[in-house]
Amino acid sequence: MKRTLTVCPYCGTGCMFYLVSDGGRLIGVEPSSTHPVSRGSLCVKGWNAFAFVHHPDRLTTPLMRRGGELVPASWDEALATVVERLKEVQRRHGADAVMFASSAKATNEENYLLMKLARAAFGTNNVDHCARLCHSSTVFGLGEAFGSGAMSNSIDCVDRAGLILVIGSNTTEQHPLIGSRILAAARRGTRLIVADNRRIRLSRHADLHLRHKNGSDVALLSAMMQVIIAEGLEDRAFIEQRTENFPELAAAVAPWTPERAAAVTGLEAADIVAAARLFAGVKPAMIVYSMGITQHSHGVDNVRCCAALAMLTGNLGRPGAGVNPLRGQNNVQGGCDMGALPDVFSGYQRVADPALRGKFAAAWGVAELPESPGLPLTRAMDAAAAESLKGMFVMGENPMLSDPDQAHARHALENLEFLAVQDIFLTETAALADVVLPAACYAEKDGTFTNTERRVQRVRKAVEPPGEARADWEIICALAEQAGYPGMRYPGPAEVMDEIASLTPSYGGIAYDRLDPHGLQWPCPDRSHPGTPVLHLERFTRGPGRFVPVAYRPSAESPDAEFPFVLTTGRTYFHWHTGTMTRRSHLLDREEATAFVELNPQDAAALGVRDGEPVSVASRRGQITVRARVTEMVVPGVLFIPFHFAEGAANALTNNALDPESSIPEFKVCAVKIGRAS
Amino acid sequence: MRVLALEGEDEFFAALETRYLVRLPVLLADGSRALGTPGSAPLALAGGALPAKPTSAFFPHSGPLFSAGPEGVLLPPAPPKPLFVAGFTPRDLDCLRFIDRFFADGMLDDVYFRLRKGAVIAAVSGYCGAGGALLAPAGGGCDLEFVRDADRWLVVPYSEVGAALCSGLPDTAPDEALQRLKREGAALPDEDRTIIREASRLLREDLVPDSFWAEIGDRCIACTGCNLACPTCTCFGVQDWRYGQEVERGRMWDSCQLSGFMREASGHNPLGSEALRTRRRIHHKLAADVTRWGEISCFLCGRCDAVCPTGIGMLAVAGEMVERFGKS
Repeated sequence: MKRTLTVCPYCGTGCMFYLVSDGGRLIGVEPSSTHPVSRGSLCVKGWNAFAFVHHPDRLTTPLMRRGGELVPASWDEALATVVERLKEVQRRHGADAVMFASSAKATNEENYLLMKLARAAFGTNNVDHCARLCHSSTVFGLGEAFGSGAMSNSIDCVDRAGLILVIGSNTTEQHPLIGSRILAAARRGTRLIVADNRRIRLSRHADLHLRHKNGSDVALLSAMMQVIIAEGLEDRAFIEQRTENFPELAAAVAPWTPERAAAVTGLEAADIVAAARLFAGVKPAMIVYSMGITQHSHGVDNVRCCAALAMLTGNLGRPGAGVNPLRGQNNVQGGCDMGALPDVFSGYQRVADPALRGKFAAAWGVAELPESPGLPLTRAMDAAAAESLKGMFVMGENPMLSDPDQAHARHALENLEFLAVQDIFLTETAALADVVLPAACYAEKDGTFTNTERRVQRVRKAVEPPGEARADWEIICALAEQAGYPGMRYPGPAEVMDEIASLTPSYGGIAYDRLDPHGLQWPCPDRSHPGTPVLHLERFTRGPGRFVPVAYRPSAESPDAEFPFVLTTGRTYFHWHTGTMTRRSHLLDREEATAFVELNPQDAAALGVRDGEPVSVASRRGQITVRARVTEMVVPGVLFIPFHFAEGAANALTNNALDPESSIPEFKVCAVKIGRAS
Repeated sequence: MRVLALEGEDEFFAALETRYLVRLPVLLADGSRALGTPGSAPLALAGGALPAKPTSAFFPHSGPLFSAGPEGVLLPPAPPKPLFVAGFTPRDLDCLRFIDRFFADGMLDDVYFRLRKGAVIAAVSGYCGAGGALLAPAGGGCDLEFVRDADRWLVVPYSEVGAALCSGLPDTAPDEALQRLKREGAALPDEDRTIIREASRLLREDLVPDSFWAEIGDRCIACTGCNLACPTCTCFGVQDWRYGQEVERGRMWDSCQLSGFMREASGHNPLGSEALRTRRRIHHKLAADVTRWGEISCFLCGRCDAVCPTGIGMLAVAGEMVERFGKS
């Protein structure tokens, strides 16, 4: 019997637990009693995080497509084919005709290595990962405002906040160990405003629940700022000492009277005024947001408003306050930090900067590195559909279910001359691949994940991978070797982290011997640095905080006579993303076994739909059949469908409308119709 | 009665490994305590109840039931040696007694007893609770008890096996220490038990309104930790995994806080809300088990209160119940 301390593979909260194993098999999970985030607790996914690991569906051998079928192949053959075919695409169509999709589920070391493989061994900046789909708006918007696109504060700041504004985050379901802290804080008297039109659990504990229309966040937040400025509730000293561009912001929000915003948001003007006064009246106040803010064609503008509201009220650079985007995946923060992004190396060092390119080229032993930023993942799918991108390597992602407009995603992937997928199960995407490489899961390898509060924590191997499966980092290094690039030979992940630290100022003091037991929060510039729980204390990372005025833009697609409902998508508490792990975990799968749509009782009555009945939901892009869940959770006119289910894929319906600056898709708003399934 | 010096702990327990699979409290790298094996980590007999239930030695979080294939049906092998499990607090012993009876009643749970049969149970008590607090000695219900007195363990056997295992340790008689510890333990206030009994009465007399459960249910995020941490929760789910021609049937701890626990095949759920499920969980321990088994099946180990992220463990809820609906 053995206990292995590691990090939960699901959300970005970063709970640590012990995997309990016996005879080489996982038999359970025990929470870490001392962990500063999870504090001896876990959510239902954490308690079940061992349950999929030995599932018989695990990939155990490389697969290659022969005669239209995926059949077992040797590692040598599979690796050689991947490299030959990608290089061949590059010879025929140019270095940027291939795309590398990295993974927010993989470790920091693996994300670093994949971006190094793309840049140093394949000479392209076409590398990105699913942060494009979740918080690219944050990375852009907060980067512009503060100089750092990460959560400004720490999770334990929830315990110190006087007020918490939760906007576009169903925290108790999606970051349960953060949500439960918010819930506990509200019971202790911390004021709570929830802005989200779903009746989420936190709304039942809120002082104020604002059920504004989907896509109207800019109007709501602008009006709150207008009220604060009009009533003189802003923090003048903070604005003068710490920020720039305030007059431009004030001018931009001035027309947003509560009455005007009421017309756009569907709220009562008085509720907007009440929210503004409440928010400005309590310090420290913390803003917590997630996909409800970011996944819009104006996601960056939403983020800018959150940043501005916090600066306006002096709520940055102090404990219990801040702008706190909750990162979704276990290592989506790390995936970004490691430069699995098309425009930056690790630590957000720009590829366009010749000095930085020179630094990385010298360290990596290559003559030069590509200069122009590569394609974001969403643009790469568009390019594949348009046949300008020809080859793709996907590590641990499942765009067939996770990307907007599934027919478009399928068309893009099928258009490729060559697709390789590295994963732990044969996902819907892997099923389309020419070569499939079997990977070890989180419980079968070493490395680090970085959680949403920038805490870099150790992931540890508890059991052996199944069959011939290998750790992602080992596969990537083998691909580099196959490509004739000798710069990726490492004894293990610890040495990869040493290289990361040597090239990445914010990770300069991160080393495995310093990460026990519960990690370090970056920035951690050197080995004597204790880590940084709260950012922007004396000054913002960029210098002065910048107010960026925005103009309200409606969502790309509005309901009309033919498609009269708004569809918003997301996750349920019991499943994770495309369900590859949770739908193979018995209790989680039993809890939510079928695709469903949330439908308000008024709408259900009008449509003659009963709870549990199959219904057809269609948009301009596709149609699915799911079961009706008749519930007050949603307001009339709005439907919610989780995107976990291949057999009722929400993303068959969603709109591939991208934010112009971050290229994030508008998962949160599209127009649909619904009726009884015939 | 025997005595074990603190510096003799390692040697004593390591010596048992020739005859037993030894499981005992150890201190893990991050300061968590858990059931471990001698030599895997420093021993940590003191510190109070282990965060995870020690009954998991016999009823693990998940495990095989049988496999079926061309060769027929195969049961998992019996352990090569019987288990020796140390670390039960006196309250944990009550839990073990309860589930022993439960698993033995009617159809014997052979998977449980494959591990439980022949196992040696060692309790810990005395000044070894959290922060050195006193745990009243159990005085029985196990094979031997390690009672902490200052810088030594008094080792008290209650069975022949227990007596044999500690026979090599020095005899302490005559020594008044155990009597003193028993007196001090008996004098400990037991407010928690008073609260849980009063909460049980309120439930059995139907004095707790539905609105209370709606409030409590609103605070349940369905983490299931209360059930998984509870030593008297014995519900499990069953799954079949097919590897090639072989089907492996296993079971894992289940939770009555999950909707799927009671959902009918039709989709109807008689316990379709967190409020109803939370009411059921607490009602089961404090009222239903009193009728079925003659005793409240919460023995106040405190694990559900420690593991619940929103503060609705058994004692917290019982406390609220008593405060709001009990006699003023």
